[in-house]
Amino acid sequence: MPGYERAAFTVELTVTPSESEKKPPKESLEAAKEMAGASGLAHEAGPDSILLAGERREVLEAAMKTIEAALDAGAREVTLKVEAEGDALRFGDGDER
Amino acid sequence: MRGMETVPKIPTRERPAAPVQRPGKVGEDSVRVDGVPKVRGEFEYSSDLRMDGMLWGATLRSPHPHANIRSIDTSAAEAMPGVYAVLTHEDVPGRKVYGMEIPDQPVLAWEKIRYQGEPVAIVAADHPETARLALGKIHVEYEVLEPLADAEKAMKSDAPKLHLSGNVLRHVKIKHGDPEATADVVVTGEYEVGMQDQAFLGPESGLAVPDGEGGIDLHISTQWLHVDRDQVAESLDLPPSSVRLTLSGVGGAFGGREDLSMQIHSCMLALHTERPVKMVYNREESFYGHVHRHPAKMRFEHGATKDGELVYVRARMVLDGGAYASSSMAVCLNAATFAGGPYKVPNAEIDSYLVYTNNPPCGAMRGFGAVQACFAHESQMDKLAAELGLDPVEFRIQNAIEAGDTLPFGQKLPAPAPVAEILRRAKAMPMPEEKEVMGRDVRELPGGVSNVTHGEGVKRGVGYAVGIKNIGFSGGFDDYSTARVTLSIEDGEPLVRVHTAAAEVGQGLVTLQAQIAHTELGVESVAVLPADTRIGSAGSTSASRQSYVTGGAVKAACEAVRERLFERVRDEFGEDPNKLSIQDGNVVSGGSMIVSLDELLGSDEIEETVEYHHRETYPPDENGQGDVHLQYAFAAHRAVVEVDTELGLVRVVEISTAQDVGKVMNPQALEGQIEGGVAQGLGLALMEEIQMKDGKILNASFTDYLLPTILDMPPVKMEILELADPEAPYGLKGVGEPPTISSTPAIVAALRDATGRELRRVPVRPEQLVGIAERPPEQPPQPGSAGYAEIGRLDERIEQ
Repeated sequence: MPGYERAAFTVELTVTPSESEKKPPKESLEAAKEMAGASGLAHEAGPDSILLAGERREVLEAAMKTIEAALDAGAREVTLKVEAEGDALRFGDGDER
Repeated sequence: MRGMETVPKIPTRERPAAPVQRPGKVGEDSVRVDGVPKVRGEFEYSSDLRMDGMLWGATLRSPHPHANIRSIDTSAAEAMPGVYAVLTHEDVPGRKVYGMEIPDQPVLAWEKIRYQGEPVAIVAADHPETARLALGKIHVEYEVLEPLADAEKAMKSDAPKLHLSGNVLRHVKIKHGDPEATADVVVTGEYEVGMQDQAFLGPESGLAVPDGEGGIDLHISTQWLHVDRDQVAESLDLPPSSVRLTLSGVGGAFGGREDLSMQIHSCMLALHTERPVKMVYNREESFYGHVHRHPAKMRFEHGATKDGELVYVRARMVLDGGAYASSSMAVCLNAATFAGGPYKVPNAEIDSYLVYTNNPPCGAMRGFGAVQACFAHESQMDKLAAELGLDPVEFRIQNAIEAGDTLPFGQKLPAPAPVAEILRRAKAMPMPEEKEVMGRDVRELPGGVSNVTHGEGVKRGVGYAVGIKNIGFSGGFDDYSTARVTLSIEDGEPLVRVHTAAAEVGQGLVTLQAQIAHTELGVESVAVLPADTRIGSAGSTSASRQSYVTGGAVKAACEAVRERLFERVRDEFGEDPNKLSIQDGNVVSGGSMIVSLDELLGSDEIEETVEYHHRETYPPDENGQGDVHLQYAFAAHRAVVEVDTELGLVRVVEISTAQDVGKVMNPQALEGQIEGGVAQGLGLALMEEIQMKDGKILNASFTDYLLPTILDMPPVKMEILELADPEAPYGLKGVGEPPTISSTPAIVAALRDATGRELRRVPVRPEQLVGIAERPPEQPPQPGSAGYAEIGRLDERIEQ
């Protein structure tokens, strides 16, 4: 999805809270959101998902901190989808059908 | 309950026809192939699409600009006869957010509502009224929150965060020259621009058709097929090759179709029901269904020597981006880069902020950040000229930027840059006759046939403005277009087929492509195939770029076809390819016919596909410096107005304009672009504004959102300069946006001249013209009686 000022690099993190954790199930997600938000790069991307968008290095650093915050708060799993603009599926040659 | 099966499981839809045109060559008047069908009402717009057995989609939208969703209950709607699907965020198969620059906008809201009209659920039913009734059966429990509707307040550190990383989406800072520079004369001003709507006449509409193999065909009116496709594919969790978009008839765009509206929704419904699904917004829903022009609050300070040379510009611009990012990042950059205007100004300090609020999302609209900046810098130039005791046009000419000068963001201005020349020409054009006001036909007075004045209190004013706009995409974006050109023989005559993904939105691109093919290949019959994603991207129909980029691609593909053709003549006839040309369907050399195309090609065809990339641009550095833009276009406007100074009513008597277009490609189409652009600039100057109160739209209709009509439009005199850009195809420059940018401040300057009032805000209201208020009241009266502050079904609104 390129635009005029498309972010060069994005990471989408989906946080799965631990079911056995004593803490409220959403606490790990909230911790991840707070940490991601502090990076200045974050947007919500779904009920349990956060999107970090920006330059590669800053996004990866923010992603690492966000994962740690989620795990520290009891997340069972954090899944990542990483996309670099230059390699993204876009502007294909078209479908000839 | 499901409706009766009435269509096969795998419906098909024929591709739209590609009528054969016989266009003129480049530079000649060419009748637009879509012109006559549009005038006759025979043109198929996207809202006219239909298939047997198709379902109708509808969208449930939040009535609140800021809220938390506690629950969504769709069971009653699902139980309605004739309803085939009721879908929420849980049914989005892939990414639940989308966005051209940052995917921050929910396909369907799951927890938070950030603007009035945000989609929450979608329905497919066997009749549009059934779909609308089903929306009323969906129960959404909201926790209503205080809306954050003021961009300045949203920037404060204690403001509630609308997105995880806060409310400032982007801050562009330009630092150039000496930040401490001082000047003999200093003027400051605060300016505001209201939220303008693109007001395209054809509302959002499309038809999604499942292919029976898990993929989807979407027929849609849009500006950028490939970016739509990629976003749709991502949210459907499909590979892009399984999502095919075909452009259907577009009833205007002006930036408002660059973002998605119902694209993902209609495809979700079609895939879920395995039926074609059509969605059409009505006018009210359209106001909630697309982005608008960013409202702006700007503070400018200019300094000059006592001899009238600009010393510095300092500016702070706050643009309200509304709830989601759209293309706001780029608008923020554009506003910053054009804050200095088309002037030599050695020192600059400019801050441009783009802020999230709970207002409707704002994004692309004709002028794209340059409109707001131009209103401010041109108001300042008049103020500074007055302070210096100089003629405002001569003062502008004295400071006009020239090719080779450095812009405040560090880029050397490429040639041609005839800023002084277009100002001189606009000033030199004959003034309209000034008839005695008393006793005139009332149709020639402000207020017209409403018979409010017979000339009492009517004063004439004249104002000037000049604007600058980038052409094409900027800031490092790899901007290109793809064209496929095929030369063959059909029914014994040569025919050229041109295929691109470039969106014809009413600007005449389909005819322009045919003109280029005729010019380059010497073949009179040209068929331009429907734009779709079966070929590579053409980029967006925006930024005044398609003639340049897609025009360049078509030209290059034609040249490649011609080269192959001439190689064939060389091989078969021993002729030197460099001496060959094509005339009237024959290959000729030195005036002698070598062979006809019919004989040469027989049943063969020659096809070439070319990508055309323009010169590279670069993002700005931390001081906002860099070769950010590709090409610059300039226009100057002179407005003559008459104002009823007692009632604040305005008649624009005449607009004169001088514009450099590089090369006139189709004179008739150029005239249309300039007149249309002036109309949109006049609208912003005098009447067009989406009125907001606490994040809610008060005038979501063409009854209450005022648009200029033919009765408001003055004659437009134009002088066109053709100073070729050596890098551009045919030397052309984009022409779509400049007429909009400086026509607004020219009209406001004329109003100031007539009334002597400061007029810091557009659109200018009667109360400003008669001196009651400098800006509209904080609590504007609610227009009309239908209660447009609450969206939903009309009958429900009336009951409220």
